[in-house]
Amino acid sequence: MNVLRYLPVLAAASAAPAFAVQYLSVEQAQKLMFPDATAFREQNLALSSSQMREVEKLSGLPARSVAWRVFGAYRGDTAIGFVVLDDVIGKFELISYAVGLNTDASIRQVEILAYRESHGGEIRNPAWRRQFVGKRAPAGLSIGEGIANISGATLSCTHLTDGVRRIAAIGQLLVKK
Amino acid sequence: MRRRAQPWLGTLVEVTLAQGLADADADAAIATAFERVALVHRLMSFHETGSDVSRFNRAQAGEVLAVHPLTWQVLKLASEIAEASERAFNVACAPNLVAWRLLPAPAVGGPTFVPGVAVYSCEEDGQVRKLAPAWIDLGGIAKGFAVDCAVEALQAAGALAGCVNAGGDLRAFGPLAFPVLVRAPHDPRRFSESLQLRDRAMATSAGYFSRGSVAGRTVSALVDGRDGAAIVDTVSATVSATRCAVADALTKVVLATRDPGHPALAAFGADVMLRCHSPQSHNDA
Repeated sequence: MNVLRYLPVLAAASAAPAFAVQYLSVEQAQKLMFPDATAFREQNLALSSSQMREVEKLSGLPARSVAWRVFGAYRGDTAIGFVVLDDVIGKFELISYAVGLNTDASIRQVEILAYRESHGGEIRNPAWRRQFVGKRAPAGLSIGEGIANISGATLSCTHLTDGVRRIAAIGQLLVKK
Repeated sequence: MRRRAQPWLGTLVEVTLAQGLADADADAAIATAFERVALVHRLMSFHETGSDVSRFNRAQAGEVLAVHPLTWQVLKLASEIAEASERAFNVACAPNLVAWRLLPAPAVGGPTFVPGVAVYSCEEDGQVRKLAPAWIDLGGIAKGFAVDCAVEALQAAGALAGCVNAGGDLRAFGPLAFPVLVRAPHDPRRFSESLQLRDRAMATSAGYFSRGSVAGRTVSALVDGRDGAAIVDTVSATVSATRCAVADALTKVVLATRDPGHPALAAFGADVMLRCHSPQSHNDA
């Protein structure tokens, strides 16, 4: 029996997120946050060690990363704000989100881009599998593209709240530039 | 179909618009729904110092406070459910949650939880009278209420079907059934049940994400409002009702009293959809 033949399949299965929702693409989030913008220009940020210390001082949190993905929003040649992208680990999940910042570094809007369970265990769970069976509603409409809502105790958003606070501090550096 | 999520009320709030509006109108309706949620957050957050809840917590006993009409509605509903449940549901348990470090202390040297007493009364015209030294936390019921507000905003904008989910407090409206997975109480990464929700609200409560240990005692964000004790059973309760605020509050009644037929359910047109025990819940109890 050729064990190797099965390896790619197994790897794919374990990497498949058990639960994933894609809410918005980066472009969709940009347009929702800055509907007046005529252009978004990538202005990625590499924090120097003194900037990292400043972020830590302003947010009271570890700066965590040197490199940040940032887009400047422009109407014509005028800068009207920034969109900063980040990911955080929640309790069992990875949350990708975007923070819209005004030109004074105040927070304009926070949008979740994608949410996925970081563990693969649920794939073996019968309730999880069942949601794919008969996913068409009586009206013939597929709800949630086959992905159910989750009911249960509150997911803590502590890491997300911290992430937004860190980005607000990074915003202070962006507007100083 | 459009699905968006933003962080509010200490959790992820997800808005799904499935039928009735397209493109720019759908985006505008969802934006309005999130604005309503944000308003409830600002008014009823325990953490935000400017909220009505924080103003109440800082007020002296005997003081009369003018609160936002939405806060007044939630306080009124909370007192009705407290009364119907003989205070198994009780928003005045916050001092215990502060002592267990599940909530930040609003002030040094706060009040202690006193069982069996009303700590406020709702007067006319959005006035609330603080009756005793107390800290209140509207955490769960306000989350359910925010879901109700968001659904009403979507409907007012012309949406025909959709669903709003705030960390497990859900409400679906319109003719479509929305699939819902309920977390297993003994392993919240897994799901114990899948349900269909149509034109109704539901809420699931369990202690699994908040359970911890303080000074050798097991604590939880779920409290039996009759005596202020933490509910630490490995159990979850799922209640359905027309309003999500009602569904959320009644999950606490079911968990505290362990009575899935509690008369408060019928009084508010609610019913228990699900009670999940873990295999080891007998040992915990």
